[in-house]
Amino acid sequence: MSLLEVRDLVAGYEPGLPIVRGVGFALDAGEILVLLGPNGAGKSTLARAVAGLVPVAEGTVMLGGGSLLAVPAHRRIGAGLGFVPQSGNVFAALTVAENLAIAAAVLPRAARAGRIAAALALFPDLAAARGRAAGLLSGGQRQMLAIARALIPAPRVMALDEPSAGLAPKLVGTVLAKLREIAAGGVAVLLVEQNVRAALAVADRAMVLVEGRVAHAGTAAALRDDPRVAALYLGGVRAA
Amino acid sequence: MIGQILIDGITSGAMIGLGAIGLTLTCGLLRFANFAQGEFATWGAYFALLIAGALGGAAPLGPLTFGWPLLAALLISMGLTALLAWSLDAVLFRRLRRHGNAIVLVIASFGASLALRSAVEFLFGPEPYYYSRDIAMTLRLAPGMRATADQLVVLALALVLMLAMHLLLARTPLGRAMRAVSENPDLARLAGIDAARVVRATWLLGGALAAAAGVFLGVTVQVRPAMGFELLLPLFAAAILGGIGSVPGAMVGGLVIGIAEAAAVPLAGAQYRAAVAFVVMLAMLLVRPRGLFGGRAA
Repeated sequence: MSLLEVRDLVAGYEPGLPIVRGVGFALDAGEILVLLGPNGAGKSTLARAVAGLVPVAEGTVMLGGGSLLAVPAHRRIGAGLGFVPQSGNVFAALTVAENLAIAAAVLPRAARAGRIAAALALFPDLAAARGRAAGLLSGGQRQMLAIARALIPAPRVMALDEPSAGLAPKLVGTVLAKLREIAAGGVAVLLVEQNVRAALAVADRAMVLVEGRVAHAGTAAALRDDPRVAALYLGGVRAA
Repeated sequence: MIGQILIDGITSGAMIGLGAIGLTLTCGLLRFANFAQGEFATWGAYFALLIAGALGGAAPLGPLTFGWPLLAALLISMGLTALLAWSLDAVLFRRLRRHGNAIVLVIASFGASLALRSAVEFLFGPEPYYYSRDIAMTLRLAPGMRATADQLVVLALALVLMLAMHLLLARTPLGRAMRAVSENPDLARLAGIDAARVVRATWLLGGALAAAAGVFLGVTVQVRPAMGFELLLPLFAAAILGGIGSVPGAMVGGLVIGIAEAAAVPLAGAQYRAAVAFVVMLAMLLVRPRGLFGGRAA
C-alpha cells in the first residue's frame, strides 16, 4: 500500500460544480509526483482538496491506510500531511520566528526546538531573518519560510502549490532542489507546478490534468520525452 | 486646562480602548462589526452591581469611594460577561457564520444589542445606579490638573489590563494563534490551529475586557441601561482609528478618542462631545481606511 492514496476524487468549491472529476493516484515515501496541466485544469483544487480546504464530493483520500476525509484541515498536519499554498503561505505580520513557532506548536514541547533547528539548517537564510516580519522577506525567502513551516511538524506527505510562482529563475532551481532533499529524507512530495521544465527535472513521476481529469500519467522522464504531451498539454514546449 | 483635558481624556480613553479591543478582535477574526459589543460593557457593569451588593457593604479603600467588594465583583463580572459573550456566539453568531454572510451577522448583532439592552432595562429599570453614594474628592496632581482617586485607580487598572492583553497577544501561543487566524484563517488551519478554539477565546477575552470597561464607567460616571449603547460609537471610532484587527491600535485609538472628546467639552461645548468620535471616525475612513496601525481596511 502506498503512503498517500487518492481514489476517484471529485471535488469543487460549489456543490454540483466539480473541478476535479474522478482523479486517482498513489504516492510513496521519498517520491515526488508533479501535477501538470493548463490553467484551470484542477491541479490546485486537487491539492487543496487533499489538504482539506476544498470540499470532497466523492472518492477517498487515504494517508498511511487511514482515511483523511473526516479529518478537519487543522488536524491533517497532525495526521502527517503538510500543505504549502501558492499565495498567502506565510503569516506576513508575524516574524519569521513566530511563523516557525506556530508550525512547531503541534509537536510535543520537547521536540519543538529540534525541529525548528532542523528547518533552519535546511534554509540557513531564515536563521539570520528570525526577527523580521515575514511580509518583509524576499519572494525566495518567503517561499523557503513557507516550506519550512510545513516541514517542521515532520509530515509524511507534503503538498506544494506552485512553489516556484513569482520566483527568479535562479531561485526556482534552488527551491525545487530543496524539495528533492526533503524527499530524500523519506517525505512523499505532491507538487503542483506550471514550470514544466524545472518540475520534471526533479520529479519521479508526473500526471497531466486536463479539465479535472487525468490525461497522461507516467514517469517524469517519459513525459519529458513525449512530444504529444508537450504539444498538447505543456504549452507546445517540449521540455528538455 | 490642557492638563485637565489630558487626565480626563486618558481616563475615559482607557475605558474606550478596553472595550474597543474586543470589537477590533471580533472584527479582525470574524470579519463583521459586532454592534452588541457595547452591551457587554452594560452587562458587566450590572453584574458587578449585583455581585458587589451581594458581597455587602465594606468600608471604602483609602480615598476611594468603593471597597474590596467592588474589586471582587469586577473580576467575577469579567468572567460572567465573558461567558455571556461566548454564549451569544454559540447561540447566534456561530450558526450564522456557517452561511458566510457578513451582512446577516451585522444585522444579527444589532438585534442582539437591542435584546440585551432591553433585558437590562426590564430587569433593572431605566433609572441610573451608583456603586457608591460617597462623594469622590479630587486630588491636585499638578497646577490645573485634578483627578479623583477613583479615576486614577480606574486608569491604572485599565492600563494593566491593556498591558496584559498586549503581552498575551505578543508572547503566548494563544496570542500568536489569534494573530495568525486574524491574518489568514486558511493558512492557520493548515498550520494546525483550531480556529474554533481561537474564536471562543476571542469572545471570552472581548467580553471580559468590555465588562471591565463597563465597571470602570460605572465607577467614574454611573450605571444605566444605555451606557453601552452610548459607548458604541467611541468603540467603533477607536477600532477604526487604530486599524481593524490591531489591538495596540484599539488601545491608542481609545486614548485619542478619549482625549478628543475631553477637549471638545471646553472648546465646543458638552453637547458636541459625542460628535467628536463620529468626526474622527469619518476623517480616518476618508484619509486612511486601514487605520493608524495598518490593520484591515474598515
